[in-house]
Amino acid sequence: MPNGKSNTAERRQRSRFLFWMLAPTVLIVLAVVAYPLMYNVVLSFSNMNLYHIRDWKVVGLGQYAAVFAEPNFWKIFGKTVLWTVVNVFFHVAIGVFLAVMLHQKFIKGKSAWRTLLILPWALPQYITALTWRGMFNYEYGAVNLFLGKFLNLSPIEWLTSPTEAFMAAIITNVWLGFPFMMVVALGGLQSIPEELYEAADVDGASAWSKFWNITVPMLRPVLIPAITLGTVWTFNNINVVWLVSNGGEPADQTHILVSYVYKAAFAMYRFGWAAALSLVIFAILFLFTQVFLRQTDATEPAY
Amino acid sequence: MPRILRLFAVLWLAASASACRPDDGPPKDGPVEVLIWHKKDGVELDFFNRQVAAFNREHDGRIRIKTLKRDNEELRTQFIFASVGGQGPDLIFGPSDNISVFAVTGSLRPVTDVLPDTFLARFDSSGVLDWNGKKWLVADQVGNHLAFVYNKRLLPAVPETWEELIPMLQALTKDTTGDGRPDRYGLTWNYTEPFFFVPFLTGAGGWVMTPDEKPTLDTPQTVEAIRFVLDLRDKYKIIPGESDYNVAETLFKEGRAAAVINGPWAWAGYKRAGIDYGIARIPKMPGGRWSAPVTSSLGYSVNVNVPDWKVPYLRTVLEFLTGPAMQTAMADSLATIPTQPQVLAIPKVAENPILQASLAQLAVGRPMPLTPQMRQVWDGMRGPYQLVMSGSVSPEQGARKMQVEVQNLMDDMSR
Repeated sequence: MPNGKSNTAERRQRSRFLFWMLAPTVLIVLAVVAYPLMYNVVLSFSNMNLYHIRDWKVVGLGQYAAVFAEPNFWKIFGKTVLWTVVNVFFHVAIGVFLAVMLHQKFIKGKSAWRTLLILPWALPQYITALTWRGMFNYEYGAVNLFLGKFLNLSPIEWLTSPTEAFMAAIITNVWLGFPFMMVVALGGLQSIPEELYEAADVDGASAWSKFWNITVPMLRPVLIPAITLGTVWTFNNINVVWLVSNGGEPADQTHILVSYVYKAAFAMYRFGWAAALSLVIFAILFLFTQVFLRQTDATEPAY
Repeated sequence: MPRILRLFAVLWLAASASACRPDDGPPKDGPVEVLIWHKKDGVELDFFNRQVAAFNREHDGRIRIKTLKRDNEELRTQFIFASVGGQGPDLIFGPSDNISVFAVTGSLRPVTDVLPDTFLARFDSSGVLDWNGKKWLVADQVGNHLAFVYNKRLLPAVPETWEELIPMLQALTKDTTGDGRPDRYGLTWNYTEPFFFVPFLTGAGGWVMTPDEKPTLDTPQTVEAIRFVLDLRDKYKIIPGESDYNVAETLFKEGRAAAVINGPWAWAGYKRAGIDYGIARIPKMPGGRWSAPVTSSLGYSVNVNVPDWKVPYLRTVLEFLTGPAMQTAMADSLATIPTQPQVLAIPKVAENPILQASLAQLAVGRPMPLTPQMRQVWDGMRGPYQLVMSGSVSPEQGARKMQVEVQNLMDDMSR
């Protein structure tokens, strides 16, 4: 009996200890994640806007209907998908290519190359985006000067034509994003057993064949979660598109969904509508993540 | 009740109690702090900081002004959020076109709650701004208007009409390196903002909305104004192919543009950059009308959350910041136009050539309508204007799109 009592006291003490250790985290998560999310859900059913910022009330599903009825919604949704696919494709392609190159034995000064290639990622996005915006200037930007001087091409209206402005934002984001995939792929490459390549060499496999049959399948377990993350980040990456295009210029033609939400909420004060659209974005990304992870068996063990 | 819920309940009550704590008097020790959010920049910011420091020294231990600079867009949005949340600065300094948005959102106390009628009576009509029957802003300057700023070394004088000016600017546009691209332009300004398009619109006889706030942009006058701007770039080739605010500033400050269209907030910066500049009216359009910029006042408004006990302290601060001594110093140092008529009569103000030129531009300006709908006007015009400038749509299509966009945004606002 004394033994049982002391066990109970110990258990109580242990659970008290756990409670106090967990409480701050739970509180913070509730305050910075759960509460804003729930508030956003409530707002999405409300009529909150400039004229009803204090006396707003819940009005039902009207804002969701307005989101889908908005002619720009589908156009911008399509553009967001394009933005995400192109960006993630280049992030992965360039990242994996550079990682494989850096993994080769014949490359000298690997750590210097690695540092250099990680630089775009290490710089604040804000600075990078504004620098690229300056470089895309029609007359004085480095990009057009380069095109004219070295490739003898006519200058491109990077920032004033809708398609070119969108391309400018994509180029900037590709530059910013490939180091993440490179670092992830480099980590993955380190864990591939050398014996697999040696066995392939014995079988007389070409470099290309080794890449597709050993490197790619072995990188899959690390790349799939990274691609999932990259997709969500890119889909919601307001910084680059907003700063390079100066808030959707020209003529709101370079928006992705998240920048459109930002403008609706903080420039037009359409809070209810913006909250509904932000939850639509949340639903899209949630669905994508579930389907993608399931389809790719990303949670299954690698070996 | 589970322990975690009990903990939340306690914390919730504590947070609510602290949020509801009545702000019932000045602090027992130390000065009363008056927080001002503002958008002052560059030379004006340096001047403001010096004045605030002088005030704090003079009122040491009783009142302390604290300031926070924000960009105009952020200033407006953050102030609304803070005010609705029961927080925010005591005073906000910004353009008068903000006040209708602040008033609609219930973010302001009338300035008449703080300043006595005898003090307000010293201002002219541009100095105390009302909207919907209440006075919301007391201004330390009027203007905020665009004008034609020229580099005197390159362009000694500015004629009255664009017809006379264009050949002069063509002569100043030069390609010295022979690479087919001018190294210096006659003129530049920020083409991405419709605010900078309005002088051409008014010069063509157009305007943005009717008195009952219906957009008036799909008109022959808008088309004429767009054509005129495009001609300056494509026919006369006196302005760069692309220019936003920063490019325009850089070109003028580096002497790579002989003139720029910009407002008083930028002028002192040109002096600092070593440009010997002059101010003139933006010339008359071919129809004989002046290219009239929009004008507004800049000043202080009072947060609705300011408690009554703080009002006398705010009165002291506002009387200092908008009083005749401050307006005289501002006119002298920054060439801002005072809102107290007696200040204009002071010789050193009356004899300031930049200020007099600014006044001449102001005289033909068009006051900015004080309505929340102006926000939709600017936003609705911006996109089509940029499309026109990029050649994606014709001037006629641009004018039509402006009208549709502005109307759509006005309709969206109430949803």
